[in-house]
Formats: sequence, C-alpha cells, structure tokens
Amino acid sequence: MTQKTILHDRHEQLGARIVDFHGWMLPVQYEGVLAEHKHCRTGVVVFDTGHMGQFLICGRGVAAELGSVCTQNAQALKVGRSRYGFLLNEQGGVLDDTILMRLGEEEFLLVVNAGTLESDLKWLMSHLTSAVALRDLTASGWAKIDLQGPRAYETLAPLVTAGDPGAMGYFGVGRYQCLGRDCIISRTGYTGELGYEIMADGEDLVAIFDKLMATDGVKPAGLGARDSLRMEMCYPLYGEELTPAHTPLEAGLDVFLPSDHEFVGWEALQAQAAQGVSRSLVAFQSASRRKTNPGDKILFEGNEVGVVTSGGFAPSLEVSAGLGYVAPHLTQPGRELIVNTGRAEIPVTVCEKPLYKQGTCRRKDVRG
Amino acid sequence: MIPQGLLYTNEHEWVKLDGAVGTVGITDHAQSALGDITFVELPPAGKALSKGDEACVVESCKAAASVYTPADGSVTEGNAAVDEDPSLVNSDPYGQGWLYKIAFTDAGALAGLMNAEQYAQFLEEQEH
Repeated sequence: MTQKTILHDRHEQLGARIVDFHGWMLPVQYEGVLAEHKHCRTGVVVFDTGHMGQFLICGRGVAAELGSVCTQNAQALKVGRSRYGFLLNEQGGVLDDTILMRLGEEEFLLVVNAGTLESDLKWLMSHLTSAVALRDLTASGWAKIDLQGPRAYETLAPLVTAGDPGAMGYFGVGRYQCLGRDCIISRTGYTGELGYEIMADGEDLVAIFDKLMATDGVKPAGLGARDSLRMEMCYPLYGEELTPAHTPLEAGLDVFLPSDHEFVGWEALQAQAAQGVSRSLVAFQSASRRKTNPGDKILFEGNEVGVVTSGGFAPSLEVSAGLGYVAPHLTQPGRELIVNTGRAEIPVTVCEKPLYKQGTCRRKDVRG
Repeated sequence: MIPQGLLYTNEHEWVKLDGAVGTVGITDHAQSALGDITFVELPPAGKALSKGDEACVVESCKAAASVYTPADGSVTEGNAAVDEDPSLVNSDPYGQGWLYKIAFTDAGALAGLMNAEQYAQFLEEQEH
C-alpha cells in the first residue's frame, strides 16, 4: 500500500511528477531536476520529507540507553545539538543512518529513513528498557519539510514567531514557533547548502509550507534534485552506499564513530579497524556527461575492483559523477579507473570528498 | 503541437524525409517524459543500421532511453550540437534537437509510420 504525505494535494497542484519511494507517493520533480538543483545551490527550495520517521524518545536515563544502541554518544550530546550516526547490527553492518537530536536533558528526537522505519522501531523497542518511552511522531501525524539553499535563513526568519533559528550553528536544533505554531527546527539537511529541517504536526506544517510557497523566490524541489545534490556532497543514501552488509568504516564515515563509548556493533568495528577494510567508498567523476549506474562494475587494469553505488549527472559539476566501493589500495584521489556500464566503458577519476566544494551548509553568518 | 509533414513511430521518434535521407529525433512527448536530458550517445557517420536497431541512447536525470532505427540505412551524420548541449532535445525536439541523419536503403519501408494526426490519436489512446 502506498502512503501519501500530508502535502500530497499540494504537490499535485504544483504539477509534480509523483513516484513511489519506499511505499510513499512523493514528487520526483516539479519544473525539472536541473532547475531545482541549481535553485537549491543559488536560492532556496523546499523538499517534502514527510516520509521520514521521527521518534521522540524520553525518560530517565534515556541518554545512557541511547548511547548504547546508537553510534552517537547521546550522553555527550549537548541539549540543542544534533549528530549524524548509525544503528548497527552486531557485525557492524548499517541498519540505518540517522540524526539524533537532543531537545532536553531527557528528551531526544531520532530522525530515521522511511524504508527502515518499521525495522528501526522494532529494533529500538527490543534494545531499550521500559524506563524510556519511544513515540513514533510520524504515526501520530507529525511531518517534516526541508528548507535548503543559501537563502534559507532569510526565507525562514520572517515566519518564525518565537525564537531565532539564526542563533543555531550547523547541526543545532530547538523548539520554535512558525506562524504561531509549535515546531522543531534543526539546522541540518541533505544538500550541502545552508538549510533547516522543520518538523511539526501535519496541519501546521501545511500552513508553513503554503506560506513558504507564497514567498518570493522559493521553489519546491523533488527527489531527483535531492539525489543529485546529496551525491555531489558524497552523502550516503541508505540502501545504496549503506546496507546491513556495509560498515561505516568501509563507507569512510569513521568520523561519526566516536571512540568514547560502546554501542551495538562496536566490537565488530574494532576488529575491522584492526584488520583493515577490504573495500572503501570513493567518489569519482568522469570527463564526460555520460552517467554510470548503481551496480556497474569498476575496473582497474582490466580487473574488476569494485562496484558503483550511486551514479548520475552532477549538475553543479556539469559532468557525470558517482560513488562506489573499490579495493582499499585504489582510493587515492587522482587514481584513474574504468566504469563498465554494460554498453560503454567510462573512464573516471577518484576525487576528494565532497565533489562539490562551495556548499554553504557550514556558513557562520547565516544572513549571507 | 505535433508538427505536420513528419512521420512518427510507436516509440515516439519522428522522421523528416528529404529524398532518401531521413532526419530523426524524439517527440515533444518523449522529451517531456524523460525530463532534463543530460547526455546523448550518437551513432557515428557511416554506421549501418537495420530496422529496430538501437541508434542512440538519450540519458536524462531520471532515466535512459533507446532511440530505434525506423528502417534499414546508413548513418550520414550525428547532431554535434546536441552532443555539445543535450538540453536542445528538451527545448527544441523537432528543430535544433534532432539526433541523427540516415540514408535509407528503401524509404518506402517507412510507409507504416504514423502522420501527425495518427500520432496525436496514438498519444491520446496511450493516456487512457
């Protein structure tokens, strides 16, 4: 059964092309992927991310409990801050990638992927004690939109009626009011640009979305642009770069594995770190516009050395680019490899991450 | 909307015949369905193609589509302009966004293709 987000009617009115994404009917594009991508890099766009899961987790000792199941060190996380990390299996494989937000001393919000929401919920319930309460806010009608682009703050600020999200640094989070309605806003996103994720009850979120759409210069953007924007930033997509068969070490995400606490999968990762990984995620780009596809073989000197996990046209770079796992000795930037798409052999070059380096997400002065 | 004087295939290609040489492109319907076109693989001049062969591949942000050969012939030219700027296929599919030219062995083999009215009807039927 496919589900509709609270903004579904709005997408239809805006002329979106709708696709099924993990059981959700979501817009893949409105005016076009390239225009939406470029508008996010230069102006500001809104994505409907109402398919993503939001779990409110509260109670005495919640930080210690979350710290033992999430890679994020919940106890070290300050109130008003959030951190990217993982739910891992005992083997260190990735069950999901998440953002953990600390709203209060004993109150956390965990934002998870749509395709893994149900399995995450079961997994968390089986690992957390009855001392903490977990509530799936998405099941009770909460939704989310992402406002992304260098003009995100100046667009959001006039709508905010309590608090100033401009005071938040990158990965800050807090409770605010927009148009007099309660919401949670985090300075996070999936595009590499300055941006905010706005979480609120469905009806409230529709009102905020409508106000944003009525704001000069704001455009809606779909899953197509979301994917090309994140690929240019080398942000992993769950199901492609990250799966239960991949560890964060293989994905080159060591920086999100704090060594100051133990979590499920920690021992397996220690062993893998000691032994060394057998494959590593690299970013690559081609001199041509011709794209590679997930599953394409990566070759070096005629031998198969890896596989593409994400591939496509990178609008900001104006060439084809992608991500893929290769043997660890082939990861140096500048290394030339071949991607075999089945009908063509495309020369590609391993590049430093991120592929797109002008992103505004870490900007100190959000006013631009 | 659908230009007169061209021939249309079930695969949403158009052919403009000039003597025995045909200019081939994809229709406005096809470019719209594909979305932003980012790359076109063109056939080299001189390549012999048989009816039904894949002549080009058109890639967009969302998809890739094959363009088939409407009748036997030999490629005379690929459109260098779309190689340089694939968005021409979106902005001007029946004009500057043409894909390749082919000298047909027997242009009479195109007799089964649709005219503009028939293609319009075909599109309407496909939508239902």
